[in-house]
Amino acid sequence: MLLVFVILSMLLYLIYNLIPFNRANAIAEQYKAAYKNNPEGLEKLKLEKEIELGLKKYDENGEPQKVGIFMRYLGWLGLAPVNGQYNGILQGNFGISYQYNERPVLEVLAEPMQNTMFLNIFSVILALAVTIPLGIFCAVHRGSKRDSAIQVFTIVGYSIPFFIIAILFIWLFASTLGWFPVSGMKTPGSDYTGMQKFLDQLYYMALPLIVMTFGSLGGMTRYVRASMTEALTMDCVRTARAKGVKEKVVVYSHAWRNALIPVITLVIGWFISIFAGSIMLENIFGLNGMGKILIQSLTANDLDMVLCLELFYASIGLLGNLIVDIAYGIADPRIRVNK
Amino acid sequence: MAEKKKTSRKAAAPLRWLKRGVLGGSKELSPENERYDSPGKLAFKRFFRRPSACVATAVLICLFLFVFIGPIFDPFVPGYTEPMMQNVSPGYTMMSVPSELADSVKEISSYGKFSVGVNNEGKAFLWGYTGFQSGDESLEIPEEVANDKIAHIAAGADHIVAISESGKVYAWGNKRNGQFEGIGSLTESMVEEEPEELLTNGVDASQVKQLVCGNQMSAIVMNDGKFYIWGNKANGASNLNSLMRPGVGRIEKLVFTSSKVLGMTQDGKLLLLNAGSFVNYESKDGIVETMEYVGERKVVDIAAIGSSAAVLLEDGEILVLGGNANLNVPQIPEGDKAVALSGGAKHFSLLTEQGRVYCWGDNTLGQTDTPDSMTEAGAADQLFSVGFQNYAVKDGKLVEKWGHSGYLMGTDELGRSIFNRVLNGGRMTMTIGAVAVIVSSIIGIIIGCVSGYFGGKVDMALMRVTEIFGSIPFLPFAIILSSIFQGGEVDIFGMTITVTEDRRIFIIMIILGLLSWTGLARLVRGQVLAEREKEFVTAAKSMGIRERRIAFKHILPNVISVILVSMTLDFASCMLTESSLSYLGFGVKLPRPTWGNMLNGCNDAIVIQSYWWRWVFPALFLSVAVICINVIGDTLRDVLDPKSEVDR
Repeated sequence: MLLVFVILSMLLYLIYNLIPFNRANAIAEQYKAAYKNNPEGLEKLKLEKEIELGLKKYDENGEPQKVGIFMRYLGWLGLAPVNGQYNGILQGNFGISYQYNERPVLEVLAEPMQNTMFLNIFSVILALAVTIPLGIFCAVHRGSKRDSAIQVFTIVGYSIPFFIIAILFIWLFASTLGWFPVSGMKTPGSDYTGMQKFLDQLYYMALPLIVMTFGSLGGMTRYVRASMTEALTMDCVRTARAKGVKEKVVVYSHAWRNALIPVITLVIGWFISIFAGSIMLENIFGLNGMGKILIQSLTANDLDMVLCLELFYASIGLLGNLIVDIAYGIADPRIRVNK
Repeated sequence: MAEKKKTSRKAAAPLRWLKRGVLGGSKELSPENERYDSPGKLAFKRFFRRPSACVATAVLICLFLFVFIGPIFDPFVPGYTEPMMQNVSPGYTMMSVPSELADSVKEISSYGKFSVGVNNEGKAFLWGYTGFQSGDESLEIPEEVANDKIAHIAAGADHIVAISESGKVYAWGNKRNGQFEGIGSLTESMVEEEPEELLTNGVDASQVKQLVCGNQMSAIVMNDGKFYIWGNKANGASNLNSLMRPGVGRIEKLVFTSSKVLGMTQDGKLLLLNAGSFVNYESKDGIVETMEYVGERKVVDIAAIGSSAAVLLEDGEILVLGGNANLNVPQIPEGDKAVALSGGAKHFSLLTEQGRVYCWGDNTLGQTDTPDSMTEAGAADQLFSVGFQNYAVKDGKLVEKWGHSGYLMGTDELGRSIFNRVLNGGRMTMTIGAVAVIVSSIIGIIIGCVSGYFGGKVDMALMRVTEIFGSIPFLPFAIILSSIFQGGEVDIFGMTITVTEDRRIFIIMIILGLLSWTGLARLVRGQVLAEREKEFVTAAKSMGIRERRIAFKHILPNVISVILVSMTLDFASCMLTESSLSYLGFGVKLPRPTWGNMLNGCNDAIVIQSYWWRWVFPALFLSVAVICINVIGDTLRDVLDPKSEVDR
């Protein structure tokens, strides 16, 4: 897993460095006016910045040389010295965000990350609370009218992308009914504190949360239903029924336990994808989240920020895989990860 | 071995006949029961037994035909915009003249989206798109105007002016840019205010020769050559000061282009009024000064469109000045002569002495598709070419109307037809989805087959690769990749690639394909692993068939159902991903449409509320397409899986 992570980070770094953009040039551009009559000074400044950023370094003869991309990658990771100093990710330095007044990336990301996490985890919990009972219900009452109705609803639900649901809900709940604000994070000009602030934030988060939950309902319900249907045809269920166990116990204890494994896989995979989905939502609703910052940083060529965010998304994915493995073991004693 | 099989079957047949001859054919063996469909045929049958699947297939096929054949008839024009038709709602109301007006036409006027008219009884009418304007001002005819007898009426870009028979001057619509009654929200230097006497006393309606409105400008010309002109001159008549100078003469007619005012005097003099691009005329012999070219000849009529003006001289020659000076003036038959000109928004038309009508100019919206009957003598005696429509009138009755009647799905913020964009955007979205799926399927099948069939170290290595690709966060990674290929030159390991828009789209297809094959590869691997242990593979192996042949020829057909289902569902998800990317601005770039990027400008409350057609149609098409594909995929999975029959 660590290997996968290293390869991924390398891939990301290499790919992102394909962008024809030189930060040193960009910084030097800012001072162009000051060095109007002194082009050599500008060049010197550029070189200084390049060396400071680790793009170039002096060789034995004191000549500035370009640093190879692999060395730069190692430097970024913290395995090779930049300007004689090990200062990379391994040392806890994720770089500087030029877009946000050269503040450290982690400091900039602290609040958006909180928001994104809150949004995602909350919506996952909400969605699970709805989909699992619904899926079980559908599986138990398979073929009934209610089941067919829910099936139609879910296939529509999981075919419509997040942004269309978002637009629809904005139209319905924000524009027409006026229940929720259209976008933003807090009431403009307000300076609430404590509980009031939290409630205000919740009020603004409500619509994105609803959209996100709603968007996840369809796929989840179908999946729970499918795995539950499969589980209900198992021999153990028939045996349990035959020996007169109560239907409730059969469904929730015998069948559900067996249906849990595919559901776990899905929940985790879906948890990852929902982080991607929140990129869209944050941009639509103007939430101060990681997705919004990712898009902003990409347009502003904020290298360190983008890489940090991509790494975050990648590690969420890998972490998800790990959790799946562990959860399997817990859910199903037949599977042990380290067998 | 194949031969052996044949002989054994042959040998068995007589035995069977013998058996049947002795024991008699049993009922169960009747041909209907005995016939055994191939799995493919069976699945096919079962598929079409489901109404939902049939409907979905039919809808999807229709959509396919729609987006792949449609663009042939209604192609995408890069860079096309029509500022006069911004945010028009769906409907074909632009040419629907009320019947009361059609029976006795006095005047018809329009600038673009909406038209006004007045009949000989003095009733005013309004038709076309009068919906949501930039403010709350309504364009509907006010009560007092409806109750009054109207003599003249004219429509500007966003306001309407009418003169009643008693001489009262009414104006309504948007007035924030100084169109009437004061200066609105602009500064005094930008606006020519409506004359005080018009507001208080009005005019002598019987002496009004012409009422004309332009781009936020209005003018009244009286029979004695006096004129009133007012409005947002900074925008609609930047050369107004030349007209206001003393000594211009007695005005006969004034016309507005989108930013200038032109005119003619009662003694037939052309008034160019320092209007920049009209000063020169591009004649057959090269560019000459307009006034010099006209010389002593008198001007009979003048007409203006957005960027040009047409001048009719007394000898019948027509000069087209400005912007589209090379517009082809139509040939008039011998012995006939043009007597009147009329100018719409982007096209001219002329009426001849014998009553023929000819149109020329821009025909993007079909303004100049003159019916053949109109070019016959005596077709019309009055002609109103206004906005994007033409109305031919004979003996006070409307005889023919042609031009632009509206949009099926409305227009977007740049005046482009949503229908056209949905059509062409659909083609783009579907093509990208299809190519991405093909790319991902090829990779997935090869890796899955190889890894499942060979197992061992190969499997290990390939599965690690799959794992790496599988744990790449899809959307962020797709965004970062496509942002690299933003355009311009990209340096990839020493190779410089120039990224054009076409190439970008191709790259997006590949990116989508490259990032989405892992699921299929895992699926195929699992299936192949199971199939590999079956007897027919052992048989094939024992016959010495090459491994590659076994993997792709013997095992692959057995897992094809899984692949088919997965491809269908992947197609839907690739379309969605493309739309999401385009929606965020990292996929296909505007102005080239896709269903995703058409929604790009729609996430603000005003658009969602007031311009619903801009998001409803692309969203609807995208959703319907994806729903259909998913329904088909789901049904396929059910019918191809032999186990599912047991379930039911």
